[in-house]
Amino acid sequence: MLTLTIAFRNIFRQRRRSLLTGLSMCGGYILFVLSTSLLEGSYGNVIDIFTLDHVGHIQIHQDDYLDRPKIYKTIKDQAAVRAVLEAHEDVTGYAPRVYSPALAYAGDKTYPARVIGIDTALEPTVSRIRQKVTEGEFFSASPDADGYYTAMIGRGLAISLELSLGDEIVLISQGADGSIANDIYLVGGVIGNRTSFDRMAVYLPLPAAQQFLALGTDVHEYALLVDDRNDNRDIASVLAAALPDLTVSPWQEVESTFYRTMQSDKQGNHFMMGIVVFIVFIGVLNTVLMSVLERTREFGVLRAIGCRPGRLVQLVLLETLLLASFSIGIGILLVTPAVIWLTEVGFQIPEPIDMSGVMFQHMKGELNAYVYLMPMGFIFATAALISLPPGFRAARILPRDALGSH
Amino acid sequence: MAEHLIETRNLYRKFGSDETEVTALDHVSITIEQGEFTAIIGPSGSGKTTLLHLIGGLDEPDGGDVLLDGANIAEMSGNELSDFRRDHIGFIFQAYNLIPVLSAEENIEYIMLLQGRPAAERKARVRDMLHTVGLDGLGERRPAQLSGGQQQRVAVARAMASNPQIILADEPTANLDSHTGISLLETMRELNQSLNMTFVFSTHDEKIMERATRLIHLTDGHVEKDERK
Repeated sequence: MLTLTIAFRNIFRQRRRSLLTGLSMCGGYILFVLSTSLLEGSYGNVIDIFTLDHVGHIQIHQDDYLDRPKIYKTIKDQAAVRAVLEAHEDVTGYAPRVYSPALAYAGDKTYPARVIGIDTALEPTVSRIRQKVTEGEFFSASPDADGYYTAMIGRGLAISLELSLGDEIVLISQGADGSIANDIYLVGGVIGNRTSFDRMAVYLPLPAAQQFLALGTDVHEYALLVDDRNDNRDIASVLAAALPDLTVSPWQEVESTFYRTMQSDKQGNHFMMGIVVFIVFIGVLNTVLMSVLERTREFGVLRAIGCRPGRLVQLVLLETLLLASFSIGIGILLVTPAVIWLTEVGFQIPEPIDMSGVMFQHMKGELNAYVYLMPMGFIFATAALISLPPGFRAARILPRDALGSH
Repeated sequence: MAEHLIETRNLYRKFGSDETEVTALDHVSITIEQGEFTAIIGPSGSGKTTLLHLIGGLDEPDGGDVLLDGANIAEMSGNELSDFRRDHIGFIFQAYNLIPVLSAEENIEYIMLLQGRPAAERKARVRDMLHTVGLDGLGERRPAQLSGGQQQRVAVARAMASNPQIILADEPTANLDSHTGISLLETMRELNQSLNMTFVFSTHDEKIMERATRLIHLTDGHVEKDERK
């Protein structure tokens, strides 16, 4: 306790110097928190775009469908799946899907396409499919009076096959029972733009796709959204335990390449920010070193009365960490209104970003414990690191030399 | 218990090098026993403070040995020497050398904290020490709020707080007026007699010499005379 008292009082010994040092630390912390908040916010935006475009927060498949998709790897007992999903209070929406590669014909042109069967009522609760309709309108689940189902096609396919609204598109594929699947559909809508992931997709109402692929009522995938996307891995674990015969994957596993890239990018940003803060702390190192040199005699006395060298290192470390604590405390008070503003209001991006046909023009921050704790950990670690050279300097002071330096 | 509480054998210490080399101590061998009130005297530059620093383990000799209660301090590691100083030696310096950010009682308490003594025991001992050196009621003052004499009394209390066998005092009265110096010396003499604590002074002060039970005269790093009263 007395060591803490000495450290505490030493901070207030040279108030102006401590204030300036504290301001450096405080400024470094504020900068780091703001940068982390914006980084988390922008990645949060990207994750939302990514997951709400199609992937969802969690996906459920049969066996290893995710890695090795086969038409016959289907989820059969959907009643059980839906019961589990509806019983979980954090699951805010789910939608069944079927997939198959196909050949799409129109006139004398043929292109490969991806058939995606979606539930017209449930799909809009887990993705932005309705907002992505750039031409025509979102289709209905029922065939028209002539028995034709409506299809929505990707912009890329529409351009390649020169298709317009109301045109016919012929799909050929293989059914789950081994039969040749083929049918004619009417183009009722065009989805996204030429860069969308589904630019070569053909969306069919779920019953039409199941009928086309001879799947009966089976589906290949359940995509779901949860209340807080940050909890998705925990929720996926709970669902996996409740659905032992199926494979439950959080989006980080579904899109592992994207996730790893994003993590690397985040680490790179943090590293750069860390370097900036470390440079700020070199000034702090100078101050702490000065403070130790000024107290050479005192440290010599402490050594003379029996203070071990390690305790002097502790004392210098404690002083620096105490100052860092004060600085962080003040930093939290100062930066919180700015983080709240960034999170609640944010700012306009000069050039809007087109993500799969959905325009994003607003940059927002994020407010969570990580935004505060990660910079805090870095500041404390840096403070501890830079206090070591002055600490060792204090520990190496010889009482004879120090007491003679009066 | 060793034969002598303090023993120096052929203690040699030089400072500087080549043309600037000065021999501060030239093969000094002395012994000091438990309970002695010894003054090391001599002109400036005779090696008094150097001898005191070497006995206290604050400096390392260029030759010879220092044995404290039979233990050769040259064989101790850095931490062992720190612990030895903490538990066996009390220092009183000419310039008081109190920790400025601690109050009088905290200055006295700190060495006991280093010893790992319980808080209640420390507090009680601090009260006793303040009473012994005549500073009742001044424990909460910082060094800057005390006179020179009061600060040196706190330094005496700090030196005694750890219950050491030896107290080494380097010119303890040099910065004090005559009256305060005498008063402080009387306090130390009483402690020496009542607690059988060993005091070793380096001094020019006649008042200390009058009260010392033994005078070791140093000249140019040699023991010129060693007289017991």
